[in-house]
Amino acid sequence: MTGNAYDLDETFHDEMYGADGAPRDHYRLLDDALQALPGSELALIQDRVRRSFAEEGISFTVYGDEEAQERIIPVDCIPRILTGEEWQQIEAGLTQRIDALNRFLGDVYGEARIIADGVIPADLVRGCPQYRIEMRGMTVPHDTWVAVCGTDIVRTTDGFMVLEDNLRVPSGVSYMLANRAAVKSNLRRLYRRHQVRDIGNYGEVLRDTLASLAPEESDDPCIVLLTPGVFNSAFYEHMFLAREIGASLVEGRDLLFDGGQVFMRTTRGLRKVDVIYRRIDDDFIDPLVFRPDSLLGVPGLMNACKRGNVTLANAPGTGVADDKSVYAYVPDMIRYYLGEEPVLPNVRTFLCRRPEDLEYTLDNLENLVVKRVGESGGYGMLVGPHAKPDEREAYARGIRDNPADFISQPVLPLSRAPCLIGEHLEPRHVDLRPFVLRGRSTRIVPGAFSRVALVKGSLVVNSSQGGGGKDLWVLES
Amino acid sequence: MLARSAQGLYWMSRYLERSEFIARLLELQTRALVDRPLAEIHFGWRRIYGSLGISPPAGDLEADHSDDYALADSYTLAGDLTFEPSNPNSMRSCFAAGRENARQMRHCISSGMWMNLNLAWLDIKNLDIQDIWAREPEAFYAGMVRTIKTFDGFAAATMYRDEGYQFLRLGAFIERIQLMTALVTTHCRVPEGAGDHEWTSLLRACQALDAFEGVHGMERKPERILALVIADPLLQGSLLGSLTSAGSCLDALGTEAGSPDTAAAARRLVGRMTARVVYDWTDSTDRLRLLDEIAREARDLHGLVTGAWFEYATGERQA
Repeated sequence: MTGNAYDLDETFHDEMYGADGAPRDHYRLLDDALQALPGSELALIQDRVRRSFAEEGISFTVYGDEEAQERIIPVDCIPRILTGEEWQQIEAGLTQRIDALNRFLGDVYGEARIIADGVIPADLVRGCPQYRIEMRGMTVPHDTWVAVCGTDIVRTTDGFMVLEDNLRVPSGVSYMLANRAAVKSNLRRLYRRHQVRDIGNYGEVLRDTLASLAPEESDDPCIVLLTPGVFNSAFYEHMFLAREIGASLVEGRDLLFDGGQVFMRTTRGLRKVDVIYRRIDDDFIDPLVFRPDSLLGVPGLMNACKRGNVTLANAPGTGVADDKSVYAYVPDMIRYYLGEEPVLPNVRTFLCRRPEDLEYTLDNLENLVVKRVGESGGYGMLVGPHAKPDEREAYARGIRDNPADFISQPVLPLSRAPCLIGEHLEPRHVDLRPFVLRGRSTRIVPGAFSRVALVKGSLVVNSSQGGGGKDLWVLES
Repeated sequence: MLARSAQGLYWMSRYLERSEFIARLLELQTRALVDRPLAEIHFGWRRIYGSLGISPPAGDLEADHSDDYALADSYTLAGDLTFEPSNPNSMRSCFAAGRENARQMRHCISSGMWMNLNLAWLDIKNLDIQDIWAREPEAFYAGMVRTIKTFDGFAAATMYRDEGYQFLRLGAFIERIQLMTALVTTHCRVPEGAGDHEWTSLLRACQALDAFEGVHGMERKPERILALVIADPLLQGSLLGSLTSAGSCLDALGTEAGSPDTAAAARRLVGRMTARVVYDWTDSTDRLRLLDEIAREARDLHGLVTGAWFEYATGERQA
């Protein structure tokens, strides 16, 4: 590949090239291969990869866009590569983090020692919309509140850091697997030469994890995946995972509560359900306990859950631990529960509920990213440097009206990785979302949904906002 | 198996069977447009609309138009029956509904089945009648028939023989029973009556021409044609063949159902329908009435299958 000047900028860590423009050691093979291939050949590979997504129907739904019920997620064919050593750091950091977060959830719905000891303010926890008072006093199998976690990790020139934890219904793992399948078959020799760690057993690990959470020891517990239905943005993933783990893909109307148990309506009558891998928000799980207008959930489900007759994974109420304000306290949780320093640091976060942080945020809007604490998926966010003055002013009014609803963070110089744009390589900002599974033990398959902001200069990697995906190769060594 | 998944598979194959049926009739019809007389062309359109139980978009067809009118009409009618999104009986609407069921039930079917459907969908989803009309439309319809036949082949070759497979087949057979009875009834009732060519085209529509020639040679007597497509047990696609196959699906499913009594009633009904064809067809003095009764029973059969396995009252039974 010739004819393009890859734009290196020392403000950003480039995943492939060092500051001197030479490829990093673990990218050498890829660089050699890219140099040897004409751009037109690479474009053909890109086209094949993207076409395979369309042919497989690997899609997501963009809300509010009636035409986009089956939008194909954009994919870039150039893999991102991490060394075994880099992955070890990420793995250790994630294992530590999910341990602390599970302890935190058990604590705040139990004795609340962390609040009594003044580590985190009571009103921040109990005033959080995701705090579910209905979960107080509940116990969960193996103290696992969060069985599946998707943590967003970014890299800056200072190294890796955690951008956010997704502890409710994290999505994206199907794209991780789809990216791998598509890129692997189109870069066959290169893939083989790299000795990439396998991620193909994710479904098996997920099934083991869920089975270990069944209320009673059973060789073959009945596991179902509860989806809001075909119009949900992640329906493809729900269907995909149901197949991977051999579970029935159910909607609320397929389940019913009777005599303290939850049953699934099968062709042969009702069958008792042991574990529900729910991909539906807390609000909609049970209209008798949460939103009474929910048609997606199962009346009585929480009753069965409280009796310990069915396990919900993730447990309701886990959102209190991934709230954008509570996030700021995760390093303190790690120190408090584990007596360790965080392996992966947080991004510096200003809580607008604190007067000094509010003042700082309002004074520096043009340099900050401001997020609503209750939003996700890149919605409701202001990227200060990219916003127009009137947008910033309107946002500032919102912050002044309800400061506790906002946090701000510095605009992070997200690392960049080469992407194929047309027939040339150009750097684009990336993050990664590995998936942590926690049953009796914690297991992390060595891979991630590596998200990429395909629009030049954009820092927003969410697929709902124009982002796409890349395959992430974790090397054996 | 989750009842809704079974229902999804059942409807998927019903829609695809219907889509293939329409494609098959349209292939014959577009071939006829090349060289057949106007009366025969009108016969063909009436037979298609009659089989589907619907009317043409502009009302009854006029048989006294000139060639130009007939071709213009045919363009409109083919568009209505092939791609019209507001027509739930258009070939693409049925294919889309089958494919949508498959999309929602992808975890219950093999990847080969899905890919076969999805690739065809990507090809046809944005087409319009003008895209196929100018160049060999019959090849397009033949391609659709092949796609759905390939889907059936993938299903036969790759699906685990569990309940899901039985519901998938059962849906196709019940749809075929309904379409076959409607096609033959309409064929025999078209006022101007069917000529030799129309009878041959009925054999083609039932995918029975080769079998007929193998058994009876070239002498295409209506009586023999009807005997083959209705009551010949050796023809897989005959009405009797479809009833027998539906019966074997119900045998495989047994009475272990959400509503066992309804499941047993479904099996008995198929038995009665089969007996009517086996024992009553040959000597019947009013065959159209017999077909009407079988058509009504086919609708009842659908209701019993739904009530036995998909939408039974809860509390009846726990697995």
